Amino acid sequence: MMDGAFIWETFLRLIVALRVTLSVWALSVFFGAFIAAGVAWMRGSGVKPVEWVARAYVFVFRGAPLLVQLFVVYYGLASFPAVRASIFWSFLRDAFNCATLSCALCTAAYQSEIFRGALAGVPHGQIEAARACGMSGFLLFRRVIFPIALRQALPAYSTEVISMVKATALVSLVTLWDVMSVALKIRNDTLVTYTPLLVAGAIYFVVNYLIARAFIFIEQWLSPHLRARSA
Amino acid sequence: MPESESDSYALTVSGLHKRFGSLEVLKGVSLLAREGDVISILGSSGSGKSTLLRCINLLETPDEGVVTVAGETILMRKTRDGRSQPADRRQVDRIRSELGMVFQNFNLWSHMTILENLIEAPIHVQKRPRAECLEEARALLDKVGIGDKANFYPTHLSGGQQQRAAIARALAMRPKVMLFDEPTSALDPELVGEVLRVMRSLADEGRTMLIVTHEMGFARDVSDRIIFLHQGLVEDEGPPAELFGNSKSERFRQFIATERS
Repeated sequence: MMDGAFIWETFLRLIVALRVTLSVWALSVFFGAFIAAGVAWMRGSGVKPVEWVARAYVFVFRGAPLLVQLFVVYYGLASFPAVRASIFWSFLRDAFNCATLSCALCTAAYQSEIFRGALAGVPHGQIEAARACGMSGFLLFRRVIFPIALRQALPAYSTEVISMVKATALVSLVTLWDVMSVALKIRNDTLVTYTPLLVAGAIYFVVNYLIARAFIFIEQWLSPHLRARSA
Repeated sequence: MPESESDSYALTVSGLHKRFGSLEVLKGVSLLAREGDVISILGSSGSGKSTLLRCINLLETPDEGVVTVAGETILMRKTRDGRSQPADRRQVDRIRSELGMVFQNFNLWSHMTILENLIEAPIHVQKRPRAECLEEARALLDKVGIGDKANFYPTHLSGGQQQRAAIARALAMRPKVMLFDEPTSALDPELVGEVLRVMRSLADEGRTMLIVTHEMGFARDVSDRIIFLHQGLVEDEGPPAELFGNSKSERFRQFIATERS
């Protein structure tokens, strides 16, 4: 059954499902970045109890498998009557929301560590030079610390963003029709194993390739000083 | 010192103390710099000379003592646990912008071109018009001899060029006093000369400069006054001819003997 028509048909069905994969991915990375920024800020706040909350967050969400987190949010929370009675239920009853929430909480833990490392890696001398020029507070952060940290975070950040594309395959286990679950459905229906999985794999591959290229482009655009000067 | 007298000084420091934990690095240092004075601060490593410079623009917070820049005294206060800290952060920012600091390791901002490094603080701290800052920055780069490097990033320049760019960056803020913290110590020997030449031209045009350095010959030639620090105290000070000729301090004579060898 490795014929062209079947591959094409499989491809078309998976491309439709790619919308779900990319939605979960984009939303979780986007909201995860905000949570991560908050966690990184808490971690560097200098206030011990706040730091501990941030540490605990990273410990839990980086320590446990995403699949466990996903099941806890989707199946676990729903088993509490109090949760079903709460105002959060209208949000949590939806598999897509649960999947996005779980992915966002998980990637936030990793992203916050990337942010923390990038902030810690800003050369102290460059911060000192800015202070010596009269910069402080938000101006110092906006003009010197953040731009340097951003450039340092990009390589690790692109890896995390790409690994999130692959991690979204897990949402097939909470009833979402993403690329992976549609591929599995085709396999179940047709008893053809390789074709749908190979096509799914190829789609993930191309998506990740494009994301990687995009990050390389951003890096070169932001850091012309790392390229050899042709002038 | 009466208030009227301190007004005429570009910089005064009196009774400066700085402790790092139990180690007292500065034990009451005072100095006066008139407009146009070039003062070199000498001393072996650990004598507190860099710390003195860094206390003047509050990169280190002095535990005691008074710093006055162009007649304006930096206001300090004590915290509840007895530590000293600036009373007004905005005053610190403003005074820092009136002091041009040149670091041993240049510390140019790596994500900006040389020209962007020069206009950054004038535009964002001093709120001066961009066109004026650009024009002045280009003139300064020409002055330090790297006008052709305006659009280069710091990593593409040699150490000597980076340090000259850093001097231009400090000058771009139109500082009242220039502070040099071992500006040639991180340079290859063959690049030291080009930086010293720039510093000499600044001294010649009458800028007020405080220079922490190990370049004995340069300090002797360029300075109006030399301050020799030893273990956190001013061991000897005076005009170079006097000090290098016959210092009353045995330690200073030893110091120049070992530095020359």
